[in-house]
Amino acid sequence: MTKACARLLKGLRYSFRILAAHRLRTALSISGLILGVATVIVMAAVGAGAEHRVVEQVRAMGTNLLIVTAAPAPLVAGRARQVASMTTLRPADADAIVEEAVRAVAAAAAVIRPVVAHWQGRNVPTTILGTSRAGLGIRNLHPRSGRLFDEVEERERRRVVLLGPSLAHALFGSDDPVGREIRLGGVPMDVIGVLEPRGTDVSGGDLDHVVVIPLETAMRRVLNVSYVHALYVQARSSADLPALEVEVRGILDRRHARRAGTPEPYLIQNQVVLLRTERGATRALSRLIVATATLALLVGGIGVLATMLLSVRERVREIGLRRAVGARERDIHLQFLLESGLLATMGGAAGVTVGVVVAGAAALLGPWDLVLSFSAALLGLVVSAGVGLLAGVVPAVRAGKLQPIEALKGG
Amino acid sequence: MIETERLAKSYRKNNILIHVLTDITFEVSRGEFIAIMGPSGSGKSTLLHLLGFLDRPDAGTYRFEGKDLSSADDNALAAVRNSRIGFVFQQFHLLDRISALDNVMLPLLYLEADDPEGEARAARALQAVGLADRGSHFPAELSGGEQQRVAIARALINDPVLILADEPTGNLDDKSGADVLERLGRFRDSGRTIVLVTHDRKVAERADRILVLDSGRIT
Repeated sequence: MTKACARLLKGLRYSFRILAAHRLRTALSISGLILGVATVIVMAAVGAGAEHRVVEQVRAMGTNLLIVTAAPAPLVAGRARQVASMTTLRPADADAIVEEAVRAVAAAAAVIRPVVAHWQGRNVPTTILGTSRAGLGIRNLHPRSGRLFDEVEERERRRVVLLGPSLAHALFGSDDPVGREIRLGGVPMDVIGVLEPRGTDVSGGDLDHVVVIPLETAMRRVLNVSYVHALYVQARSSADLPALEVEVRGILDRRHARRAGTPEPYLIQNQVVLLRTERGATRALSRLIVATATLALLVGGIGVLATMLLSVRERVREIGLRRAVGARERDIHLQFLLESGLLATMGGAAGVTVGVVVAGAAALLGPWDLVLSFSAALLGLVVSAGVGLLAGVVPAVRAGKLQPIEALKGG
Repeated sequence: MIETERLAKSYRKNNILIHVLTDITFEVSRGEFIAIMGPSGSGKSTLLHLLGFLDRPDAGTYRFEGKDLSSADDNALAAVRNSRIGFVFQQFHLLDRISALDNVMLPLLYLEADDPEGEARAARALQAVGLADRGSHFPAELSGGEQQRVAIARALINDPVLILADEPTGNLDDKSGADVLERLGRFRDSGRTIVLVTHDRKVAERADRILVLDSGRIT
C-alpha cells in the first residue's frame, strides 16, 4: 500500500515537472476548465444568493402567514371598473377570523395604496400601508427610532405616521424626522417613528419606501374607503397553514355570500406555497447553470484531451525507455491517466480560485447577493479531476499500445 | 546465459517482406563479454532487441538463463527487463526533466517488491560510474560521456545478470568512448554478461569474442 502510494507520488511529481516545463501549453489546455469551473462557482453563488434572498424575505414576512387579498375586479362589458380590486373585504373580517378560526393566532386588515408624501416642498410618491397594531406585529415592523402607534391613537384615528427608512431619507435626508409634520395626500400627519430597514421584496420592490399609519386613520381620514385590500392571518406554524386556509375560506364565504358561479372576491396566498414557487424558480436557474457548466467542462475536457494526445506523441521515446526498464502497459496507462487527472485538477483548482475571487469581488463591490458554496467548489474540483481522467483514457491507451522497440526508435 | 537457435525476424515495409535476421544460432556463457559487429542494416540492433525482450522473434528459440520465454506475457517480460537485464543505448535515453539520480532510480519505479534501499543503491551506482557528485544535475548539464555513464548506472541499479549495449560509444568522442568501454568492461569482471553491438572494430576488440553479422546472418 505504502509502496503503491510512493509510486503514485513519484509519478505525480514527474507529471508535475512535465506540465511545469510546458507552462504556456498547460495553461492554454486547462483554460477551458478554468473558465468552466469559475463560471460554476460564480453562477452557483448567484443562484444561492438569489435563493437566500427569497428565503430571507419570505421568512421576514413569516412563513406561518396567510395573505388574503382582494381579487382584481372583473371587467364589466369589456371595461375595467373604477376600482381595480373587489371591495368585499372589511376590517371586521379580520376580527371574525381571530375569533372563529381555531388555528389563527392573529389576524389584521390592511389597506395599501399609492400616495404622495409632502414635506417642505418635497413631494415623494410612496405607498401607504394602513393596518392595526396586530398587523404591525404580524408584519414584523419595529421602530428604529421613535415608537409605534398605540391603542389610543389607533382607536381615535389619530394622524400619526411611521416612515420606512428609504422614504425617511428621501424626505428628510440625514435629519431626524420624528416630531415633524408631513402631509399625505393633503392630510397633515405627525411622524412618530422610523421603521427598521427590511430590504426588498421577492420581486425587488423596496419594502422601506413606505408610510405606515393606523388602519382606521388610513380608511377614514386619508383614503376614504370602507373596504380593505388585504387580511394578514398568522398561524401557529407553517404546518397549520393548509388547514387554516380551509378555515379562513369557510369564514369568508359565510360572511360574504355570493351567487353561484361568480368568482371568489379574494385570493388566499400561502407563504409556504410562495416560498416553494420562488425556490422552484431558483431551481430552474440552477438547472441552467448545471447545463452551462457541463458544456464548459466538456470543452475543457477536450482541451485536456488534445494536450495529452500531443504529449503522448512527443514522449514516444520516453515511453519506450520506460518500457525497456520494466514498465508494464498498465504502468504507462496509470502514468498518463495521472498526468491528465493532475492537469485537469490544476485547472479545476485554478477555476475555483478565479471563481471565488470574482464572486467575492462582486459581492464586495456590487449590489448583488452572492453566497459562496463550498459544495460547488468541491464539485468543481471533483468533476475536473473526473473530466481529466476521462480525457486521459484515450491518450493513455495509445501510449500503452506503443511497442518498446518502436517507441525507442522514436515512433 | 544466452542460447539461440535459428532465430529469425522479418519486417514488412511497403508490402515487401524484409528478412532482417535469418538462422541466428549462438551461445553466450555467464560472465562473457561479446561484441556483435556488422555494417549498418545488418540486423545487429534487431538481434539485441530480441535478446532484451524488447521484441519477439518470428521463428526459432531463445533461452535466457535456461528458460524459453516465448510464451511469457508482456508483463512477465517487463519484469525480466526490469530486474535481469540492463540496457545502454546510443542516444542515452535519459529523461531530461529529472535529475541524474532520479534517472538512475527510474527502474525502481517498476520494481515488483518494495526497495527502501533504492536511493542509496542509486547513489552507489552513480559513484561506481564516477558521478557521485553529479546526482542532482539534469541531463542537459552533463557532457555526453557523463550522460552515458548515468545511463550505465541506470542499467546497473537492479543488479542485472545481462547488460545489452547498443552502440554505447556511437555518440561519444574517443576519450569518453574509451572511458565508457572501460567501465562496461569492469562490470564483466563482477560476473555480469555483456553483449555489445557496434560497427567499430576498435570497440569490438575489447570483447572476449566477436560475432559478425552480415545481411542478417552470422558469418
